[in-house]
Amino acid sequence: MIWPFQRLIGMPRVAAIEHPFGRPFGDVGDAATQREVLLAALAVFEKAREPGHVEHLPFVWHEDPRETKWHPAEPSPIIAMLKKRS
Amino acid sequence: MREVDPWRFAGGFLSKVLSARIPDEPTHAEIPWAEVRKPLAESRLALLSTAGLSMRGDAPFDMEMERKQPTRGDPSWRRLRSDATSATVEAHHLHIDTGYIARDLNVALPLDRTGELVTEGVVGTLADSHYSTMGYQGSDTSTLENESAPEIAAAMRSEEVDLALLAPV
Repeated sequence: MIWPFQRLIGMPRVAAIEHPFGRPFGDVGDAATQREVLLAALAVFEKAREPGHVEHLPFVWHEDPRETKWHPAEPSPIIAMLKKRS
Repeated sequence: MREVDPWRFAGGFLSKVLSARIPDEPTHAEIPWAEVRKPLAESRLALLSTAGLSMRGDAPFDMEMERKQPTRGDPSWRRLRSDATSATVEAHHLHIDTGYIARDLNVALPLDRTGELVTEGVVGTLADSHYSTMGYQGSDTSTLENESAPEIAAAMRSEEVDLALLAPV
């Protein structure tokens, strides 16, 4: 997910993961990955020693980004508006 | 440790739009910090999602408002029961494909997985209530920050939640 927003918002503890939008914990039915991601995220509670800690989780999504479908059926209203203006 | 690529799935246009909003150096205010006082195995955990989740029968997040006013997102919040599943929850979100959540709530709100960790003794207890907001807020986040967030925090305090895990989508 977009962990650099940390610079703008300032979250206490962050577990950054390279998963597609909408499925931060893993894919449909992939209980093993969901469990491992959850455990890794929970571990940050004890690992983080100071505010703003960012832990980069090592998980690799099982699909190539070019084949990963996460978009809504239609562009979101703001994206549609911005594309019209650009 | 390899740094996560935040733009891996974003695509060119979205990456450009979002990265323009992120400063090169931190500009945030002081980061709120609460010490972890208990081991995970003794803690009560609540989950939060920004996937626009609501229990079936509760008012859904307002997508019509966002369609009419694209620079505004619904700043309200919803309470979710700890036994919620994809059959009892709806996702209303215009920025992601919600079909995956409709098939398996755990992709965004891993209540089943957390319940298993409680059974195994890894996590102390699961809170009775969990929470969702709408991830897209537009330019004005004041209602979310000044009303919804304090209300969620108060609800968590009333249930003696020790740890809150927020998973943005």
